[in-house]
Amino acid sequence: MRGYVTKRLLIAVVTLVGMSMVIFVLMRLAPGNIVDILFESAGYVDQADKKQLERELGVDRPLVVQYARWMGEVARGDLGKSYRYDMPAWKIIKPRLPVTLELAFLALLFSILLGVPFGVLSAARQDRPLDYVLRVLSLAGLSMPAFWLGMIIILFFVRSLGWMPSITYVSPFVDLKANLWQFAVPALAVGYRSSALIMRITRSAMLEVLREDYIRTAWAKGQRGTLVVWRHALKNASLPVITVVGIEFAFLIGGLVVTETVFNLPGVARYLVDAIQLRDYPVVQNLTMFIAVVVVLANLAVDLLYAWADPRIKYEKA
Amino acid sequence: MRAIALALLLAASLIVGLTLPAPAQAPKYGGVLTVHPLTAPPSLSPHEESTIATVQQVSACYSNLVYFDPPKRQESLETVIPELAEKWSWQDNYRNLVFLLRRDVKWHDGKPFTSRDVKHTFDMVRGAADADAKLRINPRKLWYENVEAIEAPDPHTVVFRLKRPQPSLLLLLASGYSPIYPAHVPLADLKTTCVGTGPFKLKEYRPGEFVEYVKNPDYFVKGRPYLDGVKWIHIKDRSTQIAALQAGQLDVGGSGWNKANAETAKKGKPELIVTENDSNVNDNVLVNFKRAPLNDARVRRAINLALDRKAYLVGPRLGAATFGGAMQPRPTGVWGLPPAEVATLPGMGDPVKQKAEARTLLAAAGFGAGNPMKLTVSTRALAIYVDTASWMVDQLRQVGIDAVLEQIETGVWHPKMTRLDFQVALNLTGTAVDDPDAMLFENFRCGSQRNFSGYCSEEIDRLMVEQSQTLDRARRLKLVNEIDRRLQADGARLILGWGKQYAVHWPRVKAYPQHENSIFNVSRFQDTWLDK
Repeated sequence: MRGYVTKRLLIAVVTLVGMSMVIFVLMRLAPGNIVDILFESAGYVDQADKKQLERELGVDRPLVVQYARWMGEVARGDLGKSYRYDMPAWKIIKPRLPVTLELAFLALLFSILLGVPFGVLSAARQDRPLDYVLRVLSLAGLSMPAFWLGMIIILFFVRSLGWMPSITYVSPFVDLKANLWQFAVPALAVGYRSSALIMRITRSAMLEVLREDYIRTAWAKGQRGTLVVWRHALKNASLPVITVVGIEFAFLIGGLVVTETVFNLPGVARYLVDAIQLRDYPVVQNLTMFIAVVVVLANLAVDLLYAWADPRIKYEKA
Repeated sequence: MRAIALALLLAASLIVGLTLPAPAQAPKYGGVLTVHPLTAPPSLSPHEESTIATVQQVSACYSNLVYFDPPKRQESLETVIPELAEKWSWQDNYRNLVFLLRRDVKWHDGKPFTSRDVKHTFDMVRGAADADAKLRINPRKLWYENVEAIEAPDPHTVVFRLKRPQPSLLLLLASGYSPIYPAHVPLADLKTTCVGTGPFKLKEYRPGEFVEYVKNPDYFVKGRPYLDGVKWIHIKDRSTQIAALQAGQLDVGGSGWNKANAETAKKGKPELIVTENDSNVNDNVLVNFKRAPLNDARVRRAINLALDRKAYLVGPRLGAATFGGAMQPRPTGVWGLPPAEVATLPGMGDPVKQKAEARTLLAAAGFGAGNPMKLTVSTRALAIYVDTASWMVDQLRQVGIDAVLEQIETGVWHPKMTRLDFQVALNLTGTAVDDPDAMLFENFRCGSQRNFSGYCSEEIDRLMVEQSQTLDRARRLKLVNEIDRRLQADGARLILGWGKQYAVHWPRVKAYPQHENSIFNVSRFQDTWLDK
């Protein structure tokens, strides 16, 4: 097990280095740079001042030097300085991380709490009215973009109650209740889509497992239905579900741009788009790397969870 | 008889009572005004930015020497009021502008305000060789190129010495873009914090989230401000802005809204108050003078005639615009062309006849059905630009021009404009002050960085200087109109129209300042109060 984890971590490091190169090059391939944007939108351009700023920001150096400098800074735990805001990138990124993580975590929690039980029920009641209702609900969830659903929910609240979640971020350490109210609606909107996916995967995995011999044997032995379905069948059907949950979490970290915008949550994803538009290289590079790290770690966690779900999996032989 | 007399007396007093104006409501103290800005500001340093987002959100913190009177809806020389200056006087035939400063002003950090701060600020902005600080980006250097020297003979007197008379300098100094910076605070710090002398002190700034102010108890205007604070909340999504206003989380909305947005907000909450104002922002078409065949006057005029202004009004502008030339139209604008003349500008006439004339001009320039002119219409990839540019492509196709739309990402837009890397472009232009010195030099002078069409006329440049130093107001207006007339005839920039702006607020918001000819000089909020 330890050897497997070490090997996976080494692969993760190589993956991240590769990712860093791709991110770095892609940003430089996009037309326009931060100095152009800062100066030329201001209207007055003194070429000497412009050159000076290019020197200050280091964007006049060869790409290899710029990349090496960035990697050196990351290794020292220094995320550089935001070109746009003229302040340490970490100071801008730090308050945004808990917002996105909380939203992603709550959305995932909702999706698991809804998706898994509904998937099991749908499979256990295959081709009965409950199954049809749940399948329609899941199809609806997959068809509706989270931001659209979120906006509909906001409009419903505003029109019927004259209320909507707070438009400025409320920290859970300041007011937990207000924080949960603020995140409940967007988490539900995002979680509904993910739950639909999880429900469909759970249902199909369960249908397969419920036809296995050992399940038939359990029924034949007269074991209680709930015990068979929820303990024996569900655990064995959980491998694909764990995979999907892991992928969904990784997706949620970087994929909440529009939801964060609609609910005015100051998260990582929303800010990343702004930073890309402004060519704020240090912020874009470090935020994208953060998302890459989350994806890699989520995949690793999924792999490790396989062993819990299926003891036949032995990592030493992998 | 006595009863009749009594009844008459009662009736008379009733009539008097009903006809007398209701007593004005006494302002109340307290409350925090919540507003959404156009966008999040790139920094809090107005001297280093050229976006309304920064000016809008820092004006409550700073003071100017002079400012435009907030309740007066039209900004002009007559509405300039003292702020940090107690009084001012022109001397030496408008070559020296002398300010006598208030003696009771303290910076938000407690240090005294003196003439040294004024000299520090404007030496820096005009890029004086001996300035004690240098702006990394200096968008308004051009405004002060006529200033030869700034002197501070004592702590409460400042003298601006000019190279030539320039009465408009006072208006430029009254702009939201001309606050006084503290000489004792490093310039770099002012990008993320605010140390001013204004009615509100910065409480917290979170980039991309909000800018929050609290009342300055030491504000030099006694009894002001009424509010305990102001909070600018950054909301990117338009639907969320409207919902937040309707839910009461915002007191005021409307920055950057069009007519449809304002109507949507009002429809959901009929008690909201919507005010429609003219603005000094125009939709214009840049025709690249440096590129053939657009350097042919016939082609430029054909394009101008093809764009039916009335269709523009009902189409992309949803009925919310006014027509004019390079200067904001009257009566809300001060320097616009006479309305009768505006009605005769290209594009304002019968669209069928104008389009026919456009086709004739194009044919004379060598373009026709067998050889259509190919034209790329570039614009910024933002809805407010793209809507009008798409309409424009359709209009050009109606006269046989093979036009296509090119959307340019915001980050690349200005560099592309500055390099004149386009054929024609749909652009939006606003100036901080409705004054020819601010509008004309920046956008039409030969070689100006923001002269995005590459237009150049020595005669126009000469007239610009002449109007700038003309002291007689009526004569100056004639000169400005003459310049505008020639700019329209040359097609220096094809002005489609001047958009309207909207402020939507709850009835509880009182004395919310709105000006008809600038969106840049109104956000001090010292007189604004909340009735709750």
